[in-house]
Amino acid sequence: MRTTRRGFLALSGAASVAAALRLDAAPALAQAGPVKIGVLAAKAGVLAPVGESGMRGVQWATDRINATGGILGRKIELVIEEESSPKDTVERFRKLALQDKVDVISGAISTGVGLALGPVAEEMQTIWLAWDATTQKGVEESMPKPKYSFRSTDNECEAVMASILTARSWKGKFRTVAGINPDYSYGRDNWAAFLAIMKKSGIEVQVVSELWPKLGATDFTAHVAALQQAKPDLIFSCFWAGDTPIFMKQAHAAGLTQSTKLVMTTGGGVHESLKKAFTPEGALLGYNCMYFEHPKASPLMKEFVRWHQEKFKEWPNYESDHGYFTVVAYKAAVERAAKAAGGKWPSIDQVIQALEGVEVESLSGSRRYREDHIMEATFFQGFTTHKNKHDFVTIDPLESMGTKQIQKPSGVGLYDWINSWKV
Amino acid sequence: MLGGVFHAAVLFLVAAGLQLVFGVQRILNLACGSFYALGAYFGVSAVTWALGAGLPAPLFVVVLLGAGLALAAIGPPLERLLRTIYDRDESFQLLLTFALVLMFEDVIRFFWGTAPYQLGQAYLIYGQWRIGGSVVPVYNLVVIAAGGLIALGMGWFLARSRFGRIVRATAENREMSEALGVDMTRVYARVFTLGVALGTVGGALVIPATAATNEMGIELIVEAFAVVVIGGLGSMRGAFAGALIVGLMKASAIAIYPEVEMLAVYVVVISVLVLRPSGLFARATA
Repeated sequence: MRTTRRGFLALSGAASVAAALRLDAAPALAQAGPVKIGVLAAKAGVLAPVGESGMRGVQWATDRINATGGILGRKIELVIEEESSPKDTVERFRKLALQDKVDVISGAISTGVGLALGPVAEEMQTIWLAWDATTQKGVEESMPKPKYSFRSTDNECEAVMASILTARSWKGKFRTVAGINPDYSYGRDNWAAFLAIMKKSGIEVQVVSELWPKLGATDFTAHVAALQQAKPDLIFSCFWAGDTPIFMKQAHAAGLTQSTKLVMTTGGGVHESLKKAFTPEGALLGYNCMYFEHPKASPLMKEFVRWHQEKFKEWPNYESDHGYFTVVAYKAAVERAAKAAGGKWPSIDQVIQALEGVEVESLSGSRRYREDHIMEATFFQGFTTHKNKHDFVTIDPLESMGTKQIQKPSGVGLYDWINSWKV
Repeated sequence: MLGGVFHAAVLFLVAAGLQLVFGVQRILNLACGSFYALGAYFGVSAVTWALGAGLPAPLFVVVLLGAGLALAAIGPPLERLLRTIYDRDESFQLLLTFALVLMFEDVIRFFWGTAPYQLGQAYLIYGQWRIGGSVVPVYNLVVIAAGGLIALGMGWFLARSRFGRIVRATAENREMSEALGVDMTRVYARVFTLGVALGTVGGALVIPATAATNEMGIELIVEAFAVVVIGGLGSMRGAFAGALIVGLMKASAIAIYPEVEMLAVYVVVISVLVLRPSGLFARATA
């Protein structure tokens, strides 16, 4: 290419204007250097795949933001630490706040960890944007008016949605039910919410078996045998980790899945492991707040799924969306607060104020933070099908429900809320 | 009940590895659960590869066994590492073998990632049988049979074979057998490798029925310790009986009153500790 003199002048003129603008902008933004985001991602045990998935969402968001100039011209730098036991994770949270002096901390999946992090975020006066962790004790919020902690959607949202769909699709077609759920608060609360909604929907069910295997168990032959004895019309399970395909496989091998209706509220978290060979069609399966093959996926989502598939040879699951959302929401809040503050880099209080009610486009669609710091999102569930190009099941048709419909409103108890429904 | 026996068969293999190594080398090997997990992952990879290379599907069990045995090759180098702590305090053994547990967890994450890993079709290749109103996958019976055969084989090996006699002699009195000309280094390396093989074969055999997850070893090691306490530390027959007791207790608890699944097992553990502290089949300690 030949550069003409006129062209060269125009270019250099533009460049010097741009340079001048940068010079003007830089002092106005006071802080120099990168924005530091601390990340708490699980790397070991049952939580590891979920932590890795959330990390991918954070990484992708960061790369994209940095490629387009960062947040108000500041690049994002990630400081990654591990989520493990509540005690150790609290220590790492403190380290991120005190030693690395991060601007914000994103991460944490387990509500056990979340319950410990909530008060620490307040004490350290550091904004914490949880992925999947809440600060719920059982189904009740333990921190009704937090300042620094922003937490995930309620733990029982997926059970509420699955119960509504169960009542809608199968009312009158089942009577005896059995539950097999992991033996901790999440499993127990989801099962209780399911039974409460059945009652509210006027469906009289008889519980024939309640099984509570340990989280992370890998042998369910005895549980399956107990279910065979109990002969339920419907089995409800909120397995979300590696236990999901194992249970499914062993239940299938014992002939349990052919005649029984299955409700798997959260199994979509490990969707690729639910192979067609042993996962029946027509089971209700929940994908939490992102479905990788949404027929009306946004260009953003399509781009992420493509990147994820090329890079990891896997189809992404919902935790990526939580991770992505926290980073993008933080950027939007900073920009919104800076605008209000006349272009200056906002103070932490201004960012918090801007985070309340912030609404951004995430991978799965629009998501926001409620004024009481609880996430709002859309949940996806549906009945399994084998008609797809994969070796695992997908869902068709896709049902989606927003948290406005399936999450208890601010300050209301779960069961009071369910009882107030007009059915 | 068959569910319980199935679980017992797998548990026996892991506990037997633990017993053998402890009985002879006096090493309480926490990493025996990791061998189980490694065997499972390695088994999946081997079978997937073999099926891809055109192996007739029903022969996959042979590949699994082979994979488990081949993986026991990690035994000798690990034994070499453990040699540094034979004459030291037990706490060093626990620390070192626990370090191995953590390292193997990372090795698995490095090679196989964090998502559950599984064999899709293999489980039902041998079909299902209807036994007394419930359907049982034939593969479960294959695993139970394999567990039983290995138990018999181990029994014969320890009681009748020449090497078995040497192993028993070493377990009884190390100095004396050394004085009689037994090459201790070789015996230890072989025994440890055999212990590893029991774990890896167990993991490889169970994998068609389940999915390999990184924490599967940790889950089992706790139960293996319950088995060892019930059966008596260092005793093969103890491992067999203990595994059966734990498996059946768990299965019946789940069938009758699921809330006490774990409690039931530990009630037995506590009763054994109180009434017969050295375990049901303990050897007279020297």
